[in-house]
Amino acid sequence: MLGKQKKTLNLVLSLVLALTLLAACSSNNGTKNTPSPTPASSNETGGNSEGDNSATSGIDTSERVELQFYMLGNAPKDLAKVENQVNEWLKEDLPNTTVKFNYTTWTDTDQKYRLLLSTGQDVDLIFTAEWMQYQQYAKNGAFLPLDELLPKASPKLYEFVPKDMWDAVKIDGNIYTVPATYKEYVTGGFVWREDLRVKYDLPKPVDIATFEAYLEGIKANEPTIQPAAFGQDLGATLEDAYLDFQRHRVGAMPYGLHAAYEEPANIVGYWGSEEHLADLKVYKNWADKGYFSKNELNETEGNQDKIINGTTAAMLSDNPTRYNSILNQMKALHPDWDLAYHPFGLTNGYATPVHPIHNGFAIPKNSKNAERALAFYELMVTNERYNLLTQYGFEGVNYEVENGYYKMIGDNTTNGFVRENMNGWAWRNPEFMLFEPSYDGVEAIFNELDKIQVPDIYTGFAEDYTSYQAERAALEQVEKQYLFPLMAGLVEDVEGGLKTFMEKANQAGLEKIQESYKQQWLQYLQESGYN
Amino acid sequence: MKIKEDGATKWFRLIAYVVVLVGSVLCLLPFLLIVSASLTSNEEIVRDGYNLIPSQFTLDAYKVVFMFPEDLLRAYGVTTLVTIVGTAVGLLLMTMAGYVLQRKDFKYRNFFSFVIYFTTLFGGGLVPYYMLITNYLKFSNTLYALIWPSLMTPFLIILMRSFINSAVPDEVVESAKIDGANDFVIYYRVVLPLAVPGLATVGLFLALHYWNDWFHSALFINDTAKYQLQFYLYNIINTSNFLNSIGAGAGIVLSGPVPSESMKMAMAVVVTGPILLLYPFIQRYFVKGLTIGAVKG
Repeated sequence: MLGKQKKTLNLVLSLVLALTLLAACSSNNGTKNTPSPTPASSNETGGNSEGDNSATSGIDTSERVELQFYMLGNAPKDLAKVENQVNEWLKEDLPNTTVKFNYTTWTDTDQKYRLLLSTGQDVDLIFTAEWMQYQQYAKNGAFLPLDELLPKASPKLYEFVPKDMWDAVKIDGNIYTVPATYKEYVTGGFVWREDLRVKYDLPKPVDIATFEAYLEGIKANEPTIQPAAFGQDLGATLEDAYLDFQRHRVGAMPYGLHAAYEEPANIVGYWGSEEHLADLKVYKNWADKGYFSKNELNETEGNQDKIINGTTAAMLSDNPTRYNSILNQMKALHPDWDLAYHPFGLTNGYATPVHPIHNGFAIPKNSKNAERALAFYELMVTNERYNLLTQYGFEGVNYEVENGYYKMIGDNTTNGFVRENMNGWAWRNPEFMLFEPSYDGVEAIFNELDKIQVPDIYTGFAEDYTSYQAERAALEQVEKQYLFPLMAGLVEDVEGGLKTFMEKANQAGLEKIQESYKQQWLQYLQESGYN
Repeated sequence: MKIKEDGATKWFRLIAYVVVLVGSVLCLLPFLLIVSASLTSNEEIVRDGYNLIPSQFTLDAYKVVFMFPEDLLRAYGVTTLVTIVGTAVGLLLMTMAGYVLQRKDFKYRNFFSFVIYFTTLFGGGLVPYYMLITNYLKFSNTLYALIWPSLMTPFLIILMRSFINSAVPDEVVESAKIDGANDFVIYYRVVLPLAVPGLATVGLFLALHYWNDWFHSALFINDTAKYQLQFYLYNIINTSNFLNSIGAGAGIVLSGPVPSESMKMAMAVVVTGPILLLYPFIQRYFVKGLTIGAVKG
């Protein structure tokens, strides 16, 4: 009797196990999406810093130290050669110091970044950016405050970066990252196939009306080409871009909040408003007319690739640098095609250069070698030979300078270190930078935008979402489920759809989030003097 | 004398054959599509999408993949080494664990089985796991990080335990003992030879796991020379995905080479090839081992 029961139990157990095995097969994909601790909770472990050692004045280089340098992306093929050369030079410039360049790859980058910072890893220098949540990490104490260290350990670097940039990267009054000084614009602009525009004599897209006219013309004349590409991430490529252009939004504010650049303190709920309904109707109209695919939310191919391959004719918004890169890739494949660009700024009369926190390097709180790390980073930025080597590789092997322009030796597949292969966006030094001839197009756009430049108000704001973390996650789900189909024009009854979305969003705690965010935003404006 | 089949059986057979045939064709199709796409020129894929029969047959993709084979070959080497060492050591450890856990004279066998089983239901999550490997075991950037975590897979231990339980009667162990064999000799000379189908099953599971693993490379390895094969491939695809998903606001333009569609497919073929060859040799044991291990309990 007992034995039989046992056997049944065993059988059930084995079945359960077999099921778990099946489940395990798919779990690899799932790990990406599992909620992992946010910086807020995780930094408590790394909080007890050892940065206090830095109280001694000057740099003490008596101990041997290997700096761990972390950058995003894939390592260049010839990284080892560059690293050896850098370490060779370091022998004289910074005694007893070697550096190891580590790369996170683009696989689960966010997760790896979070793990590196939250579990007390041996990291001395790490890349920061607003799109890697610099503000949140800094606010939660993941990085070492640099205010006192900078003048001591890296006086040249401290001089080199302008004072207003140091001020701009401050979070709660402290400097946590060393900003890049290269000025660029990553603002939006219409991108379209110019050769088709000329061929069918269509208007130049400079605002929504002309953009629509252009799309209409493409639809009528080129039935096989999808007029515009938006891709899966409609929140960014459609709503954010549209608001940026049409309603002069100060930045890509989350949670359906909206404030215009002209009066940032007037922050209002955009979702569910009259304006929102009107805009959704515009998108619906575009979808109905077939300007973009019914399947846009399932699109896997990148918008840029679709332009290059000629399956799509326009994009609502992209930044000048990427436009230029698409143009060049397209020209390489189809010399007779052409692409054109109209920055939103030229129509709206203002453009914001990238905020200094867009590219930077910080020292994690756990670093034991903060001073040495800063001294080394100073060399990377301000020393010409370090800078050129880590940006462009070995002159004569990887690149040569021709008429002041950068020229790659060989091609992408044969060259072990192509231009900016170390993803050195943060240690670009405008004095040493080398460009390819194709950059002239970007520079021309930048020069035009320079004339109408105004400071970026939005990016310096560090949101603290610890008090509404649960609501935030819930809202994200609701947005994906109810708002995205609305934007993609998949819901026939726009008004009813919007009502459902608002209902669900309010259930998820939209009001609480908005209240708290508004409060923080207004406080930030007051403190930073933008009010 | 032949037993006459009635009509129903014949029909059943026919239908069964058709279903199985269609099923296996459906399983093969995606792979065929990959192979043919890898032999198609990239422009054609971009223009017309994937086709089962390439209209422009070309080996270009393979040429590019093998133009600088060092990275690929190194990744191959790492994966092969990890698979062989991991499977060998893992089999040794797990058969020993399984053997001990099923010995009736091991008083706490149920307790230990439960402890092992418990970990399949309740894990600590990613962060503690990451900290264990990097902070305490200090395995980051070493091959240990790739081999160690899978050496004692709870499911396989329990599979092994029940397999040995059913394949090796207690009497055999007992008689060996009477003949003067100690526990190790029994394990080595009696239990292992009787458990060959089980070894093959668990070994194949384990080898497949090591061969297909990319996650541990992604988490623990920084040194490009120690990337596993699957990660090497996965990362290439991820890089293009990342480029597509990153917003315009980040302003990122990567300078490195972005692989073409046909190149990705060619790499997939190159990567899957060898493990396919393994199946025919082990399949015999595999089926036997699976049924015995799972059903008899």
